Formats: sequence, C-alpha cells, structure tokens
Amino acid sequence: MKSRLAVIIAVVLLWVGTPAFAHRLDEYLQATTISLGTDRIAVRVCLTPGVDVFRAVLADIDADGDGVISEAERQAYARRVLHDLSLTLDGNRLPLRLVSSTFATIEEMKEGLGDIVLNVDAEVPPGGANRTLVFENQHQSRIAVYMVNCLLPDDPDIRVIAQSRNYEQSFYQLDYVQAGIRSTPPTPAPKSASWSTFRLFLGADGLVVFGWLAFLWQRRRAGRT
Amino acid sequence: MNALVRRTSCVIGLLAMICMPVRAEVMQSRQTEAARIVHAADAFLATLDAKQRGSVMFAFDDAKQRVRWSNLPTEMVRRAGLSMGELSEAQRSAAMALVSSALSRRGFEKVEQIMEGDERLRTNERARQMFGKDLFYISILGTPSETDPWMVQFGGHHLALNITIAGEHGVLTPTLTGAQPALYQVDGKTVRPLGQESDKAFALLNALDEGQRKQAILNYRVADLVLGPGMDGKTIQPEGLKGSAMNAQQRAMLLDLISEWAGIVNDQFAAARMAEIKADLDDTWFAWSGPIDHEAGKNGKAYYRIQGPKLVIEYAPQRLGGDLTMHVHTMYRDPTNDYGKRYTGK
Repeated sequence: MKSRLAVIIAVVLLWVGTPAFAHRLDEYLQATTISLGTDRIAVRVCLTPGVDVFRAVLADIDADGDGVISEAERQAYARRVLHDLSLTLDGNRLPLRLVSSTFATIEEMKEGLGDIVLNVDAEVPPGGANRTLVFENQHQSRIAVYMVNCLLPDDPDIRVIAQSRNYEQSFYQLDYVQAGIRSTPPTPAPKSASWSTFRLFLGADGLVVFGWLAFLWQRRRAGRT
Repeated sequence: MNALVRRTSCVIGLLAMICMPVRAEVMQSRQTEAARIVHAADAFLATLDAKQRGSVMFAFDDAKQRVRWSNLPTEMVRRAGLSMGELSEAQRSAAMALVSSALSRRGFEKVEQIMEGDERLRTNERARQMFGKDLFYISILGTPSETDPWMVQFGGHHLALNITIAGEHGVLTPTLTGAQPALYQVDGKTVRPLGQESDKAFALLNALDEGQRKQAILNYRVADLVLGPGMDGKTIQPEGLKGSAMNAQQRAMLLDLISEWAGIVNDQFAAARMAEIKADLDDTWFAWSGPIDHEAGKNGKAYYRIQGPKLVIEYAPQRLGGDLTMHVHTMYRDPTNDYGKRYTGK
C-alpha cells in the first residue's frame, strides 16, 4: 500500500514539476495578418503548433509518416490550409494563391517553437468605393487558437471603417472605403494646407508691419526737417 | 528711429540672453546623459579582453543581430554577444552598470526583478539549464559615441531591451518584457516585476463609464501578442476606446500606465518620449480582451493593447505554466521609430 502511494506521489510530483516552458503547449496558434491594396490583398498566416498538439499536426503534414517533411508534403499541406480558409469581398469568394511558404524543422516544431508561414494573395476585382471583406479560418478548429488583424493600409486611398470578429476570431469582417484611381493631383494634407495659409498670413502681416514702420520713419524724418 | 531700433535690439538681446542659458542647460543635460552612457560603455569594454570585445561588438547596421531577441529562453532562440555567465564578477558588474546607466531607477529595478524571476525558474524547474541570470546577454552595435548612433542590447528569457542612443536622443523601442513567475517572495516581501502594468490597467478600466467600457472591451479572445518578436515595421488597425473620448483624469491614468514602459529608459530620454506620446493622446486607443476583474495583489488574466500613432503596447497573459496570472509577455514599440530609425535613418 505504502509503495503504491509512493508511486502515486512520485507521478503527481513529476507532473507538477513539468517545466512551464515559454513555448506553446496544447494549442495550434494561427495568426493571420491581412494587408489591403487597391489591386491585391495579401494574407500572411503564421501557424505555430504547441508541443501537445504537434503529433496531430505532424500527422496531417507528414502524410507518408517517414518523419521528414518533403517539398510535396509542404505543398499539399499548404493547399489543405488554403482550402480551410475563405476570403470574400463584397460577397464574392476570391481565389487564394499561395505565393510562398516556409516550414520550421520538425525538431523546432516538436519544441513548440517552429512556425509554418504561408504567404497568400488574391486579386481585388473592380467594385464600389465601400467594400466588405470577410475572412474565415476553419483549419484544425478542434485545437486551433485564431488571431486575425488588418495591417494599417500603406495606400492613402484605402481607409478602414469597421472590424468585427466572433469570439474565437475564426470569423473576421472588415469594412473599408477604397477611393478610385487618382485622376487629379493629390490634395495637400489639411495640416500643410493650414501651414501654407498661416505662412500667407505671416507674409501679409509682415508687409503691413513693414509698411507701418516705413510710414513712422517717413513722419519722423519729415518732423526733423 | 535710431532710438526705436536700439530699443528693439535691446528687447531682442534681452530675450536671447534669457532663453540661451535655459536651452544650453537642456542641451548640456541631454549631452551629459549620452556622455554618462558612453562612459559606462567604455568602462565595460575596458574590462574585456580582445576576444570578448570581438564577441560583444557588432556593426551598427548588423540587421541579423538587431532582430536577435525573443521572449523565449536563450537555449531555444540563440542570442549573440556575451552572456553574464561568461563574465567575471568585475566584468558583470560593469555590464550591469552600463545597462543601468541607460535606464531609470524603476526601469533597472524591473530588469533585475525579471532576471530574479528567471533565477527562480532555474531553481524550481526541471529544465533548469534553460533559465537563470547567467543566461542574459549583452551586445553593443556600433561604437559608443556622444554624437554617432549606437545601440546596447540586453536580454534573455522574458527580456529584450533594444536601446538606441543617437546624440541627445535615446530610444527604447522595440522592447519586450515578461515575467514568470509574475509574483514571488524575497525576504518575506512580495515582488511583482510587472505588477504595475496590470494594476494600473485595471484602475483605468474601472475608471471608465459603461459606454466607454463598451468601446474599450473587445468581444473576442486575444491569445497572444499580435506584434511580438518578428513583427518589426508592422502596424495593425487600432481598436477600442480613443483617448479623445476619455476625460482628463482617465487620460492622466492612461499616460501613467504608458509610463510603465516609456519610463524604463532613463528620465531624460523618458521625458522626451512621454511628451511625444502625450501630444498624440487624442489618437491613442485602449483595447481590452478578457476578464474585467482580478484578485487584489495579483496580475489580471486579460489582454490589453494601447496603440497610438507612435506607440504600441501589448500586455498578454500566457497560459503556459497553468496560471494566467503568473506568466505574462509585454511588448513596447514605436512603429515610426523602432531601433531609433527616425534619428539614424537605418
């Protein structure tokens, strides 16, 4: 009885003493960033399997189970992830194109440290100024933890209006305004416009003050003579 | 007219005489800060032999070294430079004096507490070789100078300080802080390395009215840092409650919370940074995800983000270790000036 108790205590202690490493454990983190352009939408998906779910993820990648991720297996896995993603613009599903992919080594992923990064893009079809983008991710939903964010658009013609997500972030909606092609020279920013106006006033004020001083000087000279 | 000109000249001259010493004093004080850090860097380098100097020094534009930082232990993500464990007692104390010279008193205390927390992991965890004060690295990018830009990097598990010094400017972004355990005892006294970051955030959240809270609290879970290591140069669309929708007291609380990161660097550099952040406060957002209450004296379990035109702060509790209150990662960035690029052009 005593020895059985000792074994139980040892197991419990071993479990409690498991190192709380700084890497992921029982989740498959899938962090997506979306970059809006007038002609193209770029999507970056960074997938990080935790230590405890690594086996399940590897089984999905390493189809022949030889412990090596071949180029064909990488491509096939990337295609499967893309199949689980959906990107629609104004209600129309956009075909996703795999631009590039990088896979960490099995050893790194085994430690919960390795990322799989997929760079994907889609062409933006013509449409109105007000646009609605919806991104959905259903990949490995049983073990997944999703994050999705839109990068601040580089293009000043694109302005984000609203974002909404479900609690898990598997669903993301983005409303944005896309101005048309610039046919006129860009309007100066309000700040520089007000500065220009200020400088104009400054110049006018300077002229008035100068004129006033000149007038005073003339009067004094007239008085002396 | 001559009298008028003389009088005007006198007034201008008087004003110049009043203003010049003030400006000179400010300039001198800033230069003194830079000089003090350069002096500490030179003193540290003087303790090293040629081989060690070769290991600790990098070119200022060494892009690989610049981004060689992480929240992870050094065994998992290798750092370069010199580890504290490789240094003699005198060298180590000169290295810490250099780090201290660039930081405020509270900032340096925070660094020491993060390192002490990692030391606790070394003594308490099975994988003890991955943790501890010996595994924090120092490196210098460029040549310490009062005029030309250079950098000090110091970090390891849960810490990455990237300090760029460019003449009178001192920049701390990007910087990562973290804590595990986030609460421990030293001589019967409770230490929470990043406790203020949690307490001040809850105080701000509790100071918001219902309508403001509705805007600040996100309806989705944020599992981790969004702009953590590897996300240099990226900025996301801000969300939450805008500074312009806060009252004076709430704005003061927001600034005070931000100072937990902006104030890590020494007081002179921090003052300039806080002035910059204050000027942008109307366009600074506060977003919250997770539980809105917490146990007094412990960190909360919620993620939050503060984002302005020149600022990103993230506070992300971590599940690893089993207790969200005991493990946290934070990130501090200036998307317009990470690694001091605004002053160095690099």
